[in-house]
Amino acid sequence: MNWSLNKSQRDGLIGSAVLSLIILALVGAYYIWGESYQARILYATFVNLLVVVGLQVFMGNANITSFSHSAFMGIAAYVAAICVTPAAMKAISLPLAPWGLNAFELSPIVSALLALGITGVLGLLTGLFIARLTGVGVTIVSIAILVIVHSIFLHRTDIFKGNQAFFGIPKIFDLPHITILVIVAIFVARLFRESALGVQLRACADDEVGARAMGVNVYRIRLIAWVVGTLFFATAGIAYAFFLGTISARPFYFNFVFLTVAMLILGGLRSVTGAVFGTLLITIGLEIVRWLETGPTLLSIKLPQMLGLSGLLLGVVIVAVMAFLPNGIMGNSEIEEVLKRKT
Amino acid sequence: MLQIESLKVFHGPIEAVHGIDINVPEGKCVTLLGTNGAGKTSTLSSITGTARATGTIRLDGEDISRLSIEERCKLGIALSPEGRRIFANLTVYDNLIMGGATRRDKKQLTADIAAWFVQFPVLGERSSQRAGTLSGGEQQMLAIARALVSNPRILLLDEPSLGLAPQITAKIFEIIRDLKTLGMTILLVEQNASAAIEVSDYVYVLNTGTISSHGDASKFGDGTKLVDELTGVHR
Repeated sequence: MNWSLNKSQRDGLIGSAVLSLIILALVGAYYIWGESYQARILYATFVNLLVVVGLQVFMGNANITSFSHSAFMGIAAYVAAICVTPAAMKAISLPLAPWGLNAFELSPIVSALLALGITGVLGLLTGLFIARLTGVGVTIVSIAILVIVHSIFLHRTDIFKGNQAFFGIPKIFDLPHITILVIVAIFVARLFRESALGVQLRACADDEVGARAMGVNVYRIRLIAWVVGTLFFATAGIAYAFFLGTISARPFYFNFVFLTVAMLILGGLRSVTGAVFGTLLITIGLEIVRWLETGPTLLSIKLPQMLGLSGLLLGVVIVAVMAFLPNGIMGNSEIEEVLKRKT
Repeated sequence: MLQIESLKVFHGPIEAVHGIDINVPEGKCVTLLGTNGAGKTSTLSSITGTARATGTIRLDGEDISRLSIEERCKLGIALSPEGRRIFANLTVYDNLIMGGATRRDKKQLTADIAAWFVQFPVLGERSSQRAGTLSGGEQQMLAIARALVSNPRILLLDEPSLGLAPQITAKIFEIIRDLKTLGMTILLVEQNASAAIEVSDYVYVLNTGTISSHGDASKFGDGTKLVDELTGVHR
């Protein structure tokens, strides 16, 4: 292995640093001006950001849509939750759990590593199938994975409690932890994009036959990207469980899948910058819409209550972006390229 | 350097090439001429390993016909494919990096790319530009440079003049001549008979999957007679 970086990789470091500064600025703004309830919003945004940046790794570079990410996120969240929750608490919340799952507790670090490991292995096993498929085949199999995992969460109530809350998870993470995770994720995703593997993956997206003729092992690189992606989702799941203290099956399903896919599509799936901007824009948009939903008084006009507006607008955003900006806001460009063009 | 014996190439159940023999000596440029559907691209695909084929293909005496595409690339077979097939959304530089996908010596690879930028200054100027924004001729140069970056023992060129204006075609053939001077072994597939004959040492004429004639390039003159034969024109 040699660690000398070529030009696009050096540019990647610059771009990641700029994106990290934006993240740090948001956190800084919160600590200076924010109100305490906004910490939750910011934390949730960063969890989404981990997922969307992870999505970019496989979906963006290979240009293949997949929908199973919230399944992997859920698996990691539950594994971490089951490992880290005190045995005394699990005796109450999971009285019927098999295999002694309610009779042990592990340290947060071991729990997190175990969650990463198990999710990674499941990512590898599913990847063995996924990497052999192309285009819509991947999409369909990924939906199947999502549905299978969700039914297990829902019906093995003795382990996962289904739609009821799995409670009593100690609160381990706070804003500083996830800020660091997000920044690391941005660097990793960007360096992956510019690595030899990332370039090969993007080349396959442009012309698979051409890439094969260059001696690229398409199966191998798709598999690696898929597993790397699942590790991002696992990290997001762990961060989610370690902050909220309660999890349930519902958040790890279609709603979340569509939300994150919409974020990636809006920003532009070909670039890490697109993933970051898409997440931030949709989060800000949804916060405004949620406020509108409650029927606030705007310029002394009382607006009606409009429940469900957020879901509607999410759909409109996907359709509108697909129609007018098929490559998203950023298209193929990363932030440092845009900045260079301006100056 | 490259010896092909009784090669048959299949596309599904269809036999596109019916047992041909081709020999490409080291440092020479050999051309496969023929009309559309004669089996030229099929022949090249069987050499790179993307098409199903029977018969033997020897590189420096070693039979490579059972090897994977990747292994053949590593042994030094490089293709500039028909229709160029450059990676439009990657930069020119990353396209060249792709050419070296099977190389392990990444440092030397960077140095080699810099060296090819001297040979192809247009590409050097546009190294950070997306390949899809290049003109047709520039894209063809990129496809050739990309093949060269893999450090090949033999370069396969599939219709490099396809869809290019006459002046650009002339430029591409100039590049082929330069590569020959550098000692590169080339197997060229073309429809542009006169230009191909001019640049090559030996010519095979492929006609619906069989070799109808072959010989030193000088034997074919300027190629007009050959083209008449192939297209059925009687003057």
